[in-house]
Amino acid sequence: MDKNKRKYVIPGDVITTGPYRPEQNVILDGERIMATAIGISEIYDDSVKVIPLTGIYIPKYNDLIIGKIVSHSSLSWELNINSCYSGMLPASDVFGRNFQASSDDMTAKLKKGDLVVARIANFDRSRDPLITINDRELGKIDSGELVRISPSKVPRLIGKQGTMIQLIENGTNATITIGQNGLVVVSCENPDGLLKAVKAIKMVDEQAHIANLTDKIKSMLESSSV
Amino acid sequence: MTNVSILDELQRNKILELLETGQRVDGRAFDEPRKITIETGVIPKANGSARVKLGDTEVIAGVKIQPDRPFPDMGDKGIFICTAEILPLAHPTAEPGPPGEDVIELARVVDRGIRESSMIDMSQLVLIKDKSVIAIFSDNSVIDHDGNLFDACSYATTAAILSCKIPKWEIKDELPVLVEGQESSPPITTIPTSVTMGRIGEHIIVDPNADEWACMDARITITTNSDGNICALQKGGSDGFTLEQLIKCSEKSITIGAKIREIIKESTKGSS
Amino acid sequence: MGGKEPSVVLLDENGIRCDGRKVDETRKVTIKAGVLKNANGSAYIEFGDNKIVVGVFGPRDVHPKHLANTDTGIIRCRYHMSPFSVTERKSPAPSRREIEIGKVIKEALQPALILDKFPRTSVDVFIEVLQADGGSRCAALAAASVALADAGIPMRDMVSACAAGKVADTIILDVNNEEDQSGQADMPVGYMPNLEKITLIQLDGVLTPEEYKKCVETAIVGCKKVYEIQKQAIHDKYFANNGD
Repeated sequence: MDKNKRKYVIPGDVITTGPYRPEQNVILDGERIMATAIGISEIYDDSVKVIPLTGIYIPKYNDLIIGKIVSHSSLSWELNINSCYSGMLPASDVFGRNFQASSDDMTAKLKKGDLVVARIANFDRSRDPLITINDRELGKIDSGELVRISPSKVPRLIGKQGTMIQLIENGTNATITIGQNGLVVVSCENPDGLLKAVKAIKMVDEQAHIANLTDKIKSMLESSSV
Repeated sequence: MTNVSILDELQRNKILELLETGQRVDGRAFDEPRKITIETGVIPKANGSARVKLGDTEVIAGVKIQPDRPFPDMGDKGIFICTAEILPLAHPTAEPGPPGEDVIELARVVDRGIRESSMIDMSQLVLIKDKSVIAIFSDNSVIDHDGNLFDACSYATTAAILSCKIPKWEIKDELPVLVEGQESSPPITTIPTSVTMGRIGEHIIVDPNADEWACMDARITITTNSDGNICALQKGGSDGFTLEQLIKCSEKSITIGAKIREIIKESTKGSS
Repeated sequence: MGGKEPSVVLLDENGIRCDGRKVDETRKVTIKAGVLKNANGSAYIEFGDNKIVVGVFGPRDVHPKHLANTDTGIIRCRYHMSPFSVTERKSPAPSRREIEIGKVIKEALQPALILDKFPRTSVDVFIEVLQADGGSRCAALAAASVALADAGIPMRDMVSACAAGKVADTIILDVNNEEDQSGQADMPVGYMPNLEKITLIQLDGVLTPEEYKKCVETAIVGCKKVYEIQKQAIHDKYFANNGD
């Protein structure tokens, strides 16, 4: 880690003083810029931020997420999206604007416990985030294994320009769908490949802060045993 | 609330598919309980205590012993009271407040497992007949919930009682007075061990974890004593068992109970 | 204050206290972060003979809904003692003392939490005292702060805590059970070390103005020591390059 620009911080730690712009997970106290989360602080150009190592998922417009149906009304499904807010999937997103969906219509399409890949269509904090599954890559998940990781580790799982996720997919022939909210679905025809892929994902979750993680995962994937 | 959260369909299907091929999601055999670790004496200020980890379920039991008035019709016997609480920090759905029916059932099943086995010889806990007896309280605090609180609390209470020390009281002017520095081991006659099994379809699995618990059609908790006899039993869940299944369950509870009894004994060695 | 006749000597002629400590020494403190599987954040502390576990959930939906705040998240705090945690077994039902301590700890944590980005949610802090010794509310507060950071709740600063008191006309740091029962004053303090703000302070007993000042300063010294242990607990979980 470049010592000048990055360091480990906990809430209350003073990262730097001076004319910097405070960005994510920092606050300004007089001249001091202080961390508000456990994580890694970064100073670049004129701004300071902290990359958190823990914390729940906060919905952001256009995020790809994986959610679980928990209930429905006549107008929408409610989803658990691993956040403090529930996702709302309007019936019109699936049936079209003019269709009057009955409860049976709703349950036939998506029922309690079903998992979907979706996007955040709209989110302002005054009400629950709006979800859409109206796109080719979105919709109900029929098969695969669900792995939960800390949402703060998702960037590490994707890697710089997707390098980490490609490493795992290529090394196992698995298809991996990563929700920004920390839910990951893994499908693989080969059961060994599936086990290795799941193990690799869990390794990233547990060891995201360790320097040679990529090498460790590479050697785990290449070894013949799991 | 011993049943937690909505299980997602993928996980439920996976559990059911694997059961059809004789496997469980965490790789255990049908008859295999999760890893059990028991540590006694974790609360030194209590008269006895134990911390049990059953997989990721974690319970701390504390035993407090003090003089009390006997129950009206049982003046020649000491008192045993067992409680359980699922702490709100144990699970996102656990709420603080007075216990609901699930928690009350949990406490009473654990209590009966110990009481009906006559684990403690209550006749040896009398200070003054009909006036003053020794009361043994075992309070279970569930601090992490991953299914099967019945067995976790039962093992914790059993280990805490086996390793407890009973203070000595003298009678002065008809009242019990504590004598410092003199303690004795509890009068133990047998070691009860509970085994909880769940039925999913036609399959019977031992020690269901939280996900399996959410799929169960019915469950049964059977407590056996050191002689291999059955001393307490409770069926739960919204479905039932056939006679054959009940007999199979009772057999499992005896053999598996015997193995777990050894683990409990091992953990309390050197404390009596 | 207990007001009991001391059955032990609280401070002898060599300045040694009943448990062997000097007047400015704290008891042994250890903290572990992230000890529970289900809670979003958690911590376990041993402070002297206090053994306390804290679990944090949130931010999450508030039930009942009328408690929710449309502008900002709220914090709720429950302080509870296990029946076996004290010398004479305690009923599991919450006592008035526990409820007050829960409120006081909540108000000690509130200044540190940044919840305006989570309207209509609650951060729930659950404290369970498994074994109680003097100063349990300070120990609980210190552990709660670590549990909140572990859960990723945005915080302006950590909140540390330690009590100071008076025995035999001398100001002492970190009051234990005997000193609490039979001493002359007990002052628990909660403190944000970087913002230098006191967020919890109570007093049992009588102090002159000079003693009062010295007592607060002494408690702050104790808070800074406990802060180092909080930092270590977080470092051990998040920053240690522990081997494979």
